[in-house]
Amino acid sequence: MPKPSAAVETTANASLARRKAVADFSVKYAIYIVFMILIVGIAIKEPTFLSLTNFRNILSMSATRIIIALGVGGILISGGTDLSAGRQVGFAAVLSASLLQFQEYARRMYPNMPDLPLWLPIVGAIAACALFGLLNGAIIAYLKVPPFIATLGSMVAVYGVTSIYFDRPPYGAQPIGGLRKDFTNLGSGFVGFNDVWSIPFIVIIAIVIAVAVWVLHNKTRFGKNIYAIGGNPEAAKVSGVPVNKNLLLVYAFAGALYGLAGTLEAARTGGATNNYGNGYELDAIAACVVGGVSTSGGIGTVPGMLVGVLIFSIINYGLTFINMNPYWQQIIKGAIIIAAVALDIRKYLAKR
Amino acid sequence: MKRLLFALLIVAVLFAGCSGKAASGKPKIGAAIYKFDDTFMSYVRNSITENAKDKAEVEVVDSQNAQPTQNDQVDAFLSKKMNAIAINPVDRTAAASIIEKAKAKKTPVVFFNREPLAEDMGKWDKVYYVGAKAEQSGTMQGQIVVDYWKANAAADKNKDGKIQYIMLKGEPGHQDAELRTQFSIKAVTDAGIAVDKLAEDTAMWDRPKAFDKMKAYLAAYKDKIEVVFCNNDDMALGAIEALKAEGYFAGKKQIVVVGVDATAPALQALEEGTLLGTVLNDAKNQGKATFDLAYALAKGEDVAKAGWEITDGKYVWVPYQMVTKDNYKNFK
Repeated sequence: MPKPSAAVETTANASLARRKAVADFSVKYAIYIVFMILIVGIAIKEPTFLSLTNFRNILSMSATRIIIALGVGGILISGGTDLSAGRQVGFAAVLSASLLQFQEYARRMYPNMPDLPLWLPIVGAIAACALFGLLNGAIIAYLKVPPFIATLGSMVAVYGVTSIYFDRPPYGAQPIGGLRKDFTNLGSGFVGFNDVWSIPFIVIIAIVIAVAVWVLHNKTRFGKNIYAIGGNPEAAKVSGVPVNKNLLLVYAFAGALYGLAGTLEAARTGGATNNYGNGYELDAIAACVVGGVSTSGGIGTVPGMLVGVLIFSIINYGLTFINMNPYWQQIIKGAIIIAAVALDIRKYLAKR
Repeated sequence: MKRLLFALLIVAVLFAGCSGKAASGKPKIGAAIYKFDDTFMSYVRNSITENAKDKAEVEVVDSQNAQPTQNDQVDAFLSKKMNAIAINPVDRTAAASIIEKAKAKKTPVVFFNREPLAEDMGKWDKVYYVGAKAEQSGTMQGQIVVDYWKANAAADKNKDGKIQYIMLKGEPGHQDAELRTQFSIKAVTDAGIAVDKLAEDTAMWDRPKAFDKMKAYLAAYKDKIEVVFCNNDDMALGAIEALKAEGYFAGKKQIVVVGVDATAPALQALEEGTLLGTVLNDAKNQGKATFDLAYALAKGEDVAKAGWEITDGKYVWVPYQMVTKDNYKNFK
């Protein structure tokens, strides 16, 4: 859509202005319009879709994805990217699951280990992933490897680490099952009356994390710094922002979030294999991008990320709910990613 | 000059290490697995290495789900003068070129778990295949459901005499996924029971995906679902986890879930009474048969005496086994 020049604009009649206003509105809120069309479309096909149970299911399947997206989102804002997110999730899932199997289970990874306190393996997984993240940050900040390449490398390497841990005596590579009740309860338990009128623990955790990340991004110096670094790294450096230190922090923090998400993923599904988390990074990046986070850095909000994740959850859940052909689901997802970014980018093009 | 000599020395050492039979005098066998993180194939892999202990030197490599990688690995095996190679193809149609390479170097090949095309198998007499008949896994899964259905009137929740089912498939186009889907239902209909397919979707062999799909189906179909067929155990366990969250398996709220593979977590689920049954693709014996054949070939012995029944001069079929609450303890 070519932009009318100032001269034309002054002579333009009211209907043109109105048309422009409508166009502006639809560009600005395009993603929310797509969101509504999706829900309405699914609800027309299957009116029972609009139920509390479905709403609750969509929220709980979004919970781990939200946590991952919040991690990747911060990195995208800082002008980077993180392809290793999914594999870090997988590592955390395997590590925490292997340490939280119940005693009677026939094939425990550690047959003679006493029960550990629940928090210990979870904190361990979070710390391990924070370490992976720190390593990513260091490679990017000090070795000046572009984030795409650095995290591509660590994606492959972390998977190797997970597999070495996963595939070893006494029983070799096999899915980790027999998780302790207190652990699976973290993934499937809820606060409330029954399984409809209640909030799942993982949703509460995701909300708490989202609020914390929002505060971090908006109310702290660290948050302001990562927006500054993503917007213009040179300017940030000149104005005294410790760029390298902040890069280390943003990747390590994201790692910690992946670690948490991985343990919750194991708890939620009651098991883990070394293939857990495969491809989650792309889901998370797609969700962020659809939610208005710029892949070139400096732009993005926490509510945007949440909406992005929810859109994909609704597509996944809703289209399964109406029993749509899975191949068509793929086409729709792809189209939404491209359409969302194409529309979103117009907001910023118009500003220039 | 010094550097050149050093390089030559290293090359010489490497070659010395790789030529002909190993220093120990044991035959050398190269094995390529299509992908190391496939749960079932890692059982087969473990079995191959266990059986090889004290008998042969087996080098196992990961083809990372890429046929070009595997072809390179086969070249490496052949240039290392392996006495026999055992190949689990990434793409079964790629067997033709592997057979040609091996034939040129007179190195016998045992394919396993993914069956090459019959016309390729016929290209040379030192080519064998070890595997299971994929349709059998589907048939047995259906049989488990039929047996339960006939013995338990309560399984027919709406008393219409038909099975309302959900099918969670593996990767679309994967031979096992297609055959299991087709033959599990065929076994049910062959037994004279009519079926109603509520939904069928792929969960890509993956537990979290099956979990999410099952949640959506439960919301969409509620108590109408009578049987959940899953192409493998990982997906069956994902579905069970979703069912548990909706209050199934506690008290009267029961549902039939069946899988394939008999993994350790699946056996646990059998014990807990959440999984009705699974079918064992006998990884131990597939691995053993693969090794036994490759070993006999590597030593130039008669393959017919390796302890396995050979069909059509080239095929060893390792049968599947039904696993239910009655016999799961034998498989732990």
